[in-house]
Amino acid sequence: MPSPAISVTELEKYFPPALTGWRALTQPVARATEKALAGVSFDVKENESIALIGSNGAGKSTLLRILATLIIPTRGQATVGGFDVERESAEARRLFGYHTGGDEGFYARLSARENLAFFAAMNNLSRADTRQRIESVAELLGIQNDLSRQVRTFSTGMMHRLGLARALLHRPAILLLDEPTRSLDPIAASAFRRLLKEELVRKGGTTLLFASHTLSEVEELADRVVLLDKGRVIVFDSPRGLCSATDTTTLEAAVSSLVGHLVPLQHRA
Amino acid sequence: MNIEHTIRKVAAFFWRDFAIARGYRGALLLETLEALFGVATFYYLSRFVQSPELNSELPAGTNYFAFALVGFAFFDYLSVSLSAFDSSLEEARQNRTLEALLVTQTPLPVIIAGSAVYPFVALAIRTCVYLAWAALLFGFRPQSANWPGAVAILLVSILAFAGLGILSASYSILFKRGNPAKWLVLGVSGLVGGMMYPISVLPGPLQMLARLIPVTYSLTGMRAALLAGAGWRELFPSIFALLVFAAVLIPLSFAVFAWALRRTKITGTLTHI
Repeated sequence: MPSPAISVTELEKYFPPALTGWRALTQPVARATEKALAGVSFDVKENESIALIGSNGAGKSTLLRILATLIIPTRGQATVGGFDVERESAEARRLFGYHTGGDEGFYARLSARENLAFFAAMNNLSRADTRQRIESVAELLGIQNDLSRQVRTFSTGMMHRLGLARALLHRPAILLLDEPTRSLDPIAASAFRRLLKEELVRKGGTTLLFASHTLSEVEELADRVVLLDKGRVIVFDSPRGLCSATDTTTLEAAVSSLVGHLVPLQHRA
Repeated sequence: MNIEHTIRKVAAFFWRDFAIARGYRGALLLETLEALFGVATFYYLSRFVQSPELNSELPAGTNYFAFALVGFAFFDYLSVSLSAFDSSLEEARQNRTLEALLVTQTPLPVIIAGSAVYPFVALAIRTCVYLAWAALLFGFRPQSANWPGAVAILLVSILAFAGLGILSASYSILFKRGNPAKWLVLGVSGLVGGMMYPISVLPGPLQMLARLIPVTYSLTGMRAALLAGAGWRELFPSIFALLVFAAVLIPLSFAVFAWALRRTKITGTLTHI
């Protein structure tokens, strides 16, 4: 994979305003005037773990969704593994796994194994590879004994693990995670962070870009932090670098100092 | 696009939908009974409306029961074509699987086409059930049927209808719900397409309109093949007309769909409900 693993250059994204009534009929061709990202640039090196932080509406999810090829940027460029996410989206999708903390997108009447097998087929895995990968990721995530259960019987935490298992099935070199521990209890969140750090980043060599509101999570996982505010990058540095630059001792204080107000970020869940 | 991967994906969609449907066995049983009620209704209606005037309007070799049965059973292909593609999108949005599907290595056209396979297979089985009930209980005897001709008419009909279905899915991608285009096509096709009566009973302008919609040629060809045992030469006009519809509608629908998809990726509303 070429270095950098992820490159974002002068990325801008504007959305059309939400129209209602008869004007909603013009929504598909409405002018995009609502700013979500305003010239965001940064690079992520291979095997690096980067956190996107910022208050609600700062542009974190929009940025991840652009990288995940789910939306098209207005201006600028973003590449994943050297592939442009707009023009070479199919190639880019081979390289990343995408998972959001609120991810419940499964077929409730199918078993976990059937769900994973279906998504493995969607990711071009052969039948033999599918069987092996399902066992392997299920074991990694501790759901190996639940593969035959229908997904509708799963708890939120189990569903979360299954979502990550799905994102890992095709051995992605890059993981894009949007609030990966949202809706997890503290013990499950801690185990999840350990898994990300030890198994995927350290042992697996995965490049990680994740959005989070939990600063302790950021301190634990991130090599560097992209602080976004109103669609702009305020700073891109290591957690320690942020504290040094702002002459503060905690990441929360550093972030508050940089954004100029107390951002609604959370302590450890 | 790797053809082997595409076939495997289409098969995965089929097995996914089959496995989900298998979980609702009661519904499958009720659908079989519903087909019986539908066939019985046409049978008794045909006995009530039987008259020399009506018979003179019907194609040679048919009675009203057989005429309406074939019209009703095969009109469903238009309904399913129009709804299968956008229903698959709607369902994926509702159960939140659309985003997970879109980040896989499967392009959206394959997702939509793959999701339509099971509804078409289920419809083919339902059609067989209709015809079986009619044959077993109500004397429907398509002895002289040209079965290969009927299958050919069915396949080209599906191609032509799929173009309309993909256009309908494009509307659904852009506007999410309420699809007036779908209801318009179904309404006009139901009125002038010859499902329940021959188009010869319609006034002149409606007969002209009937010639502009694919279902007319589909039902005419299907009745000719199944009820009159028409040969390939007699079926050719219907097959040719349906192929022309397909040749125009499929590229047009793919172009419109690609534009709609790009717009929703720009507006960020692809996964909105």
